[in-house]
Amino acid sequence: MFKFDELTKNDKIEIILDGHAVLLPSGMSIAAALLGEGKIISRISPTSKKPCSPHCLMGVCFECMMEIDGVQRQACMTEVKPGMKINRHLEKENHHE
Amino acid sequence: MSDYDVIVVGAGPAGLSAASCLAEMGLDVLCLDEQPKVGGQIYRNIQDAPEDRRKMLGEDYGNGAKIAKRFVNSKAAYKDNALVWQVEPIGHVCYSHLGQSKQVKANYVIAATGAMERPMPIPGWTLPGVMGAGAANNLYKEAGLTPEGLVVLAGSGPLLLLEAVLLIKKGVKISAILEITPVLPSPKAFPQAPKALMRTDFLWKGLSMIREIKKAGVPYYKGVSKVKALGLEKLENVSAESATGKKLSIDADLLLLHFGVIPNTHIFRQIGCAMAWNDEQRYWFPEIDLWGRTSCEHIFAVGDGAKVSGAIAARYNGEMAALEVARCSGIISEYERDLFAEPLLKAISHDHWPRPFVDKLYAPRPDQFIFTDDTVICRCENITVKDIQKMVQEGVSDLNEMKCITRAGMGPCQGRMCGPAMAEVIAWQTKTSPDEAGLMNIRPPIKPIPLGEVAKMELASDGAPGKNWLLDKK
Repeated sequence: MFKFDELTKNDKIEIILDGHAVLLPSGMSIAAALLGEGKIISRISPTSKKPCSPHCLMGVCFECMMEIDGVQRQACMTEVKPGMKINRHLEKENHHE
Repeated sequence: MSDYDVIVVGAGPAGLSAASCLAEMGLDVLCLDEQPKVGGQIYRNIQDAPEDRRKMLGEDYGNGAKIAKRFVNSKAAYKDNALVWQVEPIGHVCYSHLGQSKQVKANYVIAATGAMERPMPIPGWTLPGVMGAGAANNLYKEAGLTPEGLVVLAGSGPLLLLEAVLLIKKGVKISAILEITPVLPSPKAFPQAPKALMRTDFLWKGLSMIREIKKAGVPYYKGVSKVKALGLEKLENVSAESATGKKLSIDADLLLLHFGVIPNTHIFRQIGCAMAWNDEQRYWFPEIDLWGRTSCEHIFAVGDGAKVSGAIAARYNGEMAALEVARCSGIISEYERDLFAEPLLKAISHDHWPRPFVDKLYAPRPDQFIFTDDTVICRCENITVKDIQKMVQEGVSDLNEMKCITRAGMGPCQGRMCGPAMAEVIAWQTKTSPDEAGLMNIRPPIKPIPLGEVAKMELASDGAPGKNWLLDKK
């Protein structure tokens, strides 16, 4: 859906995404970094149970809420930092009523 | 004792200018910014954006560099990643910074919360792949991201076309632009045209945008209605009806929506500032005087968060508030304040010339909101038009009542996305104006924070008890 401009050469850093080590570009929000890497699903809506993707990218819509280092935060308002543990909980069975 | 003379919330053009102006006059200023870098939305990432990106975004973006530089030189204190979650009318502010909350006190608060894209629920707008046009713009400024695949733009207003032109310049092949603005401009706009024509620079910009779109050969439909996003797990297709009633069906990977912008007013509503309704633009805004003072003596509202007027006016309005705060703080006299304000007022007026024309041209019309039963209004709680409609039929016509019964507005966004649209549904059903549904009550914390953070937070030494439901529980 999105690609990085050729001139965007941010250093890559390692984070843990859904339990796996992943390299993401630094110097930007988690939401932007994930979208650039083609990971467009930010979470499964706890109410509709359907996949969501970031919508506003400015802290208003809360569609990019993710578990970041143990706390639910907006991925578009949180900068990528090395070693961050991010869980999107994309497996549907993880969601109990 | 206060920690600061003034706390400025937000670091867009209005917030930065207000903070710079105050710091230059020798006042102790703290600027709290929820983003990691200064610039707000319009000048996002202005200090670090590479040269090619700045060039692509043009002068309107580049101008932000001067504002950011002035702010840095002014030596105003700056806190990035600071989520303000409560402001009290006396100037006490609670904010969360990287997992720790703190209360700080100031004599005055200038809130420059900016604008947000008007949330306009269309069928399928919750599908992955449907985004705000401003969101795509932010992704470029911040991260150098460009849409790829099949891109469709839909909505109305100058910013929609501005984004289209930017995408064309970046080499994106746009599948279609679906504009819901009527083919024939509103007659209300004509009396405003002469004043707009006096700003040839502005007119030129508008015309060259349309020319760029034509030159690129992008299918550009005007007067479109019934825009729908279709797909199962993600966006696959956009359907709409053309002005002549022809059915349009366009394959799409990304749909960028834009229906104008509205002030971001949660802070003012949480504080308890008196709010007013803009009937033409269909949005709420805090009542302010010439200097930006709200109905609360110590709280000022500046920039697009007070009234959508764009980045240039925001900058001057920020300085206007700074002048009045400086006067109230005993730094300058009333005479000096008025003297310094004179050129600002002139600049604001010059900048304002074309605005009434553009505003009327793209004013939201009640009939542009076409709600279908299964359209999701509240994304957080998954409440649809049908759910709201059912309650209206049972006699509910007040937003707060609607919230209590349906849970719409109780999710993490706290009514930011659903509030305005829900009022439109109620207005449509009861054949009234959306303002009659009232405003959702906003309570702290206005940003979700872990309770443990509140328990551990540092309180300012002599917080006034009894005024604060959340902190008094401690």
